[in-house]
Amino acid sequence: MIKIANMHKVFSTEEVETTALNGIDMDVRDGEFVAIMGPSGCGKSTLLNILGLLDNPSEGSYEFYGTEVAKMSERQRAQIRKGNIGFVFQSFNLIDELTVYENVELPLLYLKTPPAERKEKVEAALTRMNMMHRRNHFPQQLSGGQQQRTAIARAVVATPKTILADEPTGNLDSKNGEEVMNLLSQLNAAGTTILMVTHSPYDAGFAHRIVNLFDGKIVTEKVHV
Amino acid sequence: MLKNYLKIAWRNLAKNKVFSFINILGLTIGTTCCMMIFLYIMNEFGVDKFHADKKNIYRVMRGFDMNGTKLSVPYLSGPYAPALLNDYAGSIKKAVRVMHNYGLVTLGNNSFNEKKLYVVDSNFFSFFTFPLVSGNAATVLKDPASVVLTETAAKKYFGNQDPIGKIVELDKSLKLKVTGIAKDVPSNSHLDFDMVVPISNYANEEWIKIWINNNNFTYVLLNDNVQKASLEKSFPKFMDKYMGKDLARFGAKMDLSLTPMSDIYFEPHSAFDNVKHGDKKVVYIFLSIAALILLIACINFTNLSTIRAVERSKEVGLRKVMGALRNHLVYQFIGESVLITLISCLLSLGLLKVLMPVYNHLLGYSLTISWNAAPLYLFLVGVIICVGFLAGSYPAVFLSGFTPIQALKGKLKLGKGGSFFRQTLVVVQFSISVFLVIGTIIIMSQMRYVKNMELGYNQEHSIVLPVNNDMYNNRQAFKNELENLGSVASVSYMSGEPGGFFDMHTLKAEGRNDLVWKTRTEFTDFDYVKTLGLKIIAGRDFSGAFSTDTTEAALINRTAAKSLGFTPEQAIGKWVQNTIRDDKKRRIVGVIEDFNFLSLKEKMDALVITPNDDHRVVVIRLKSGNVTAALAEVKSAFAKISASYPFEYTFLDQKFDELYKTDIRQQTILSIFAGLAIFIACLGLFGLASFTATKRTKEIGVRKVLGSSTQGIVVLLSRELLKPVILATCVAIPAGYFAMNSWLQNFSYRTPMHWWIFAVAASLTIGIALFTISFKAIRAALMNPVTSLRSE
Repeated sequence: MIKIANMHKVFSTEEVETTALNGIDMDVRDGEFVAIMGPSGCGKSTLLNILGLLDNPSEGSYEFYGTEVAKMSERQRAQIRKGNIGFVFQSFNLIDELTVYENVELPLLYLKTPPAERKEKVEAALTRMNMMHRRNHFPQQLSGGQQQRTAIARAVVATPKTILADEPTGNLDSKNGEEVMNLLSQLNAAGTTILMVTHSPYDAGFAHRIVNLFDGKIVTEKVHV
Repeated sequence: MLKNYLKIAWRNLAKNKVFSFINILGLTIGTTCCMMIFLYIMNEFGVDKFHADKKNIYRVMRGFDMNGTKLSVPYLSGPYAPALLNDYAGSIKKAVRVMHNYGLVTLGNNSFNEKKLYVVDSNFFSFFTFPLVSGNAATVLKDPASVVLTETAAKKYFGNQDPIGKIVELDKSLKLKVTGIAKDVPSNSHLDFDMVVPISNYANEEWIKIWINNNNFTYVLLNDNVQKASLEKSFPKFMDKYMGKDLARFGAKMDLSLTPMSDIYFEPHSAFDNVKHGDKKVVYIFLSIAALILLIACINFTNLSTIRAVERSKEVGLRKVMGALRNHLVYQFIGESVLITLISCLLSLGLLKVLMPVYNHLLGYSLTISWNAAPLYLFLVGVIICVGFLAGSYPAVFLSGFTPIQALKGKLKLGKGGSFFRQTLVVVQFSISVFLVIGTIIIMSQMRYVKNMELGYNQEHSIVLPVNNDMYNNRQAFKNELENLGSVASVSYMSGEPGGFFDMHTLKAEGRNDLVWKTRTEFTDFDYVKTLGLKIIAGRDFSGAFSTDTTEAALINRTAAKSLGFTPEQAIGKWVQNTIRDDKKRRIVGVIEDFNFLSLKEKMDALVITPNDDHRVVVIRLKSGNVTAALAEVKSAFAKISASYPFEYTFLDQKFDELYKTDIRQQTILSIFAGLAIFIACLGLFGLASFTATKRTKEIGVRKVLGSSTQGIVVLLSRELLKPVILATCVAIPAGYFAMNSWLQNFSYRTPMHWWIFAVAASLTIGIALFTISFKAIRAALMNPVTSLRSE
C-alpha cells in the first residue's frame, strides 16, 4: 500500500526555485494499476521518481507498505528499493556492456540471491518475456521492443510488489507498444501493483485509474470500471 | 557480483579502445620505468651485501690533514695488517690485504695485460664471500705459486679447456698454477677482479715491508662483541708505536679509522680511492624521477577515468536504481582501476624482460637483481594497490555520490570543482615534465661544457701507453726510437697522465716552516711541458743545458705558488723538498699555468713536477695527419723493445672522457626517462583533448552554423587546454632553476644557466602539448556541423 499526503517537491538553483509537486495526496492500493498523465513539465516524472524512492520529497509524507520513507537517506531508500520496486523506463536503460541475461540478473546480484536460484529466476523471467533465445545478445543487437521486454524482465525478476513504468511505450512502434502494455497488464493481473506515467490515452486505458496532473497538482482522477 | 564487475570492466576496456590504450600504455610505461629504476636502486643499495660476514668487516682508513682539510684514504702499507692482527688479537679476528695491480700474463706465445689483478693475502676467499666454482676457499691461495681466475678470465686465457692445474706466467717472472675458478664478480661489489695472486710472492720485497709505502687496502674482520668506536680509540697508540718516528720526521699527523663494509660504496670517489663508488645523490635523483613518472601516469589515470566515468553515468544510475549502494559502486570502480593497473603491471613485466639488455647496456653493467626477483613482485603488488586504489578512488567516490536520477538522466556534470581539480592535476603533470626537461638540458650542457672546456693542455693526437718492465728498462732507447719517427711530435715519461693518478706527498717549502704542505706530485722527464703543451708563466722549463736540473730543479703550477703565498715570479728560485722522495732541496725553476690534470669535479690542486725515474706511463704526441699510419709506426717501435707485451694504448682525450663515463650514462638514462615522462603527460593531454572535443561537439556545431572558421574552432579548443600547460611552465621554470643551480654546485667548473635553456624547455613542452591538442581540435573543427548537432 502506497500512501502520500501533502507532498511538495521544489527544485532550487542559485537563482530560480521551481515547484514540481505542489501538495499531492494519493493512495495506491495493492494490485492496482494506476496511470499518471499530464502535459510535459507537470511533475509526472518527479512524482514517479519519488514513488520509486529514487528521490525525496521536499515536504509531506510518504508511506510505503507501512514504512514512512519521506525523509530516508539514499542508502536506506536503496535498501527498500531493491526487491520491492521494479522499474521500466522509456529509453529502456539497459547496460550496454552486459548481455540480456546479465542485465536481467543484475537486481538479483544486489539482493545476494544464490547462483542456482538466480539462474532459475532469470530464465523464468526471460521465458515469460519470450527473450530466452536472445539471452546472450547485447542491447545494441536487439530491436526496441526486445530491449523493453528485457527491461520488463529485469523489473520483474526479483518479483517486486510494485512496478514503476515511465512512458514504457514512448520509444516503441504501435505493435511493440501494444505487446509491452499487454505484458504489464498480465503482471498486474498476477498481483503486481503498477504505476505508469504516460502521454498516451490508449496506454492509460489499460489502467484501473487515471490520475491527471497539472502544474504539480492532481487535477482529476478517473476510475475505469 | 565480482564476475559481473570483471565482465563489465573488461567489456568497457574493449569498447573504449582509445581510452584504454592511453591509460594502459601510460601506466605500463610508467611502471616499467619505475621497475627499471627500482632495480637500479636495489642494486645500488645491495652493493657488498652478499658477504656473509658483512656486518663485521671494516676497511681500515688512514686519516691525515691536507693543508687544513681532513682527508681519509684507504691505502695502507704492507706491515699494517700483520701488526693490527698481532696487537688486537682479541678484537680483530682476521685481516686481509688487497692490492690492485696490473700485470702481464703470458701463456705460451700469447700475452695479455691483466688490468684487474688483485694481489691478496691467502685468506681472501674465506674472508670475503666470492664463491668459487672450483677450488677450496680456505686453501686455494695457500701456495704462493697459485692463482685464481674468474670464469670470464679463465675463458679468455684457456678457452674451453679445463683451466685447473694450468700454468700462467705473471710479469715474466712468476709461474703460477691455476688452483681455483671464482664466479665472475657481481656488479654490486666495490671490489672487482679477474685474477687473484697471493701476496706471499712479494713477502721479501722491500716495498711491502716498509711502513711508509702505502699500496694496499686492508680489511679487518672484528669479533662479534667488539665495538668499532672503542677499537678506534686505541688506534692513536698503535700509530705512535709503529709510525711515531716517521711521522715526526715528516712533521705529519696520521690516524686510523674503520669504515663498515656497507658504507664503502657510498663513500665519495677520489683519486685515492679508485674502487667502484656510488653516489647517493644520483640514487635519490633516480628515485625522485621514478616517483614523478608514476605520479604523471597516475594523474592521467585519474583524469581520464573521471571523465570517462561521466560517460558511464547511465550505468551508475541504473545500478543505483537496482539497489546498488554507494560502496558497491566504489568497489566496482576501484576494482576496475586495479584491473587496469594489473594489466599494465603484467605488460610492464614483459616489457622489462625485453628491455633489460638495453637497460644494462645503458647502465654499463648488468644489474644483479634478476628481473624476476621477489622484491620486484612486492614492488608490483605495491604499485597495483597504491596506483589502483589511489587513481581509482577519486572517480569512484565522485561517481557514486550522485543521486540515481542525476546519473540516470546523464546529467552528471564535472562541476567547477571537478574541472579545477583536473586542471590542477594537468598543471602538476606538466610542471614535472618541464622540470625534467630543464634538468636534462642543464645536465647535458654541463657535460658538454666539461668536455669542451679548455683544459690547459694539449689533448689531441696524444696516446698514452703504460710503462711495462721491458719499456722501463729500455726507456731512453724507446724514446729515441719514437723521436726519430716522422709521425711523432714529442714523447714524455711521467708518473701520471692528465686525468690519471697523481700521488700526494708532503713537501717542505722555503719560508714556510709553519706548513705541512701536501701537494700532488708528477715525476717526469724533461719533455713534460713540451709534450702536453703547457704554458710557462714564470721562469723556464727543465732543460738539458742545466746539468743539475735532474736532481735540483722543480716546476710548480700557479695554484702551488699561490698556496705558498707567492706570485709566480716570486716563486722562482725558492726551494721545495719532497720529504719522501728527495734527499735534498730543489729550486723552483719555472711556474706553469694551471691545467686540469684532475677531473673537473675536483678543485684545482697544487702540483709539483720533478724529474724522477718513477715513470709509469708514456705520453706520445703524434703530428697531425695520418693517425693510423702513425700508430702503426709507434706499434712497430714498441714491438722492438717490448715484444712480449701487447700493444695497448688509449688516446689522452678518451682517457679524460672515461672520467665522465658514469655521468654521461646517467645523463642518457635521465634524458630517456624525461622524454617518457613528457610522452605519458601528452597521452593524458590527448585524452583530455578528446574529452573536450566530445563535450563541446554541440557548441562546435552551433558555432560553425553561425559562421566560425575551422581555425577559430581550433584556437577555441586549444586555448582552454593549453592554459594549464602554460601555467605549469611558469611554475616549473623557477623550481627548475633553483634545483639545477644547487646540482651544479657539485662541480668546480659550471656551465652558465642560459635563459635559452628555460625557453627551449618551455617551447618544447608547449609545442608538444599544442601538437597533441591540435590533432583532436582540428578533427573536431572539420566535422560537418550537421553531424555535430545531431550527435547531441
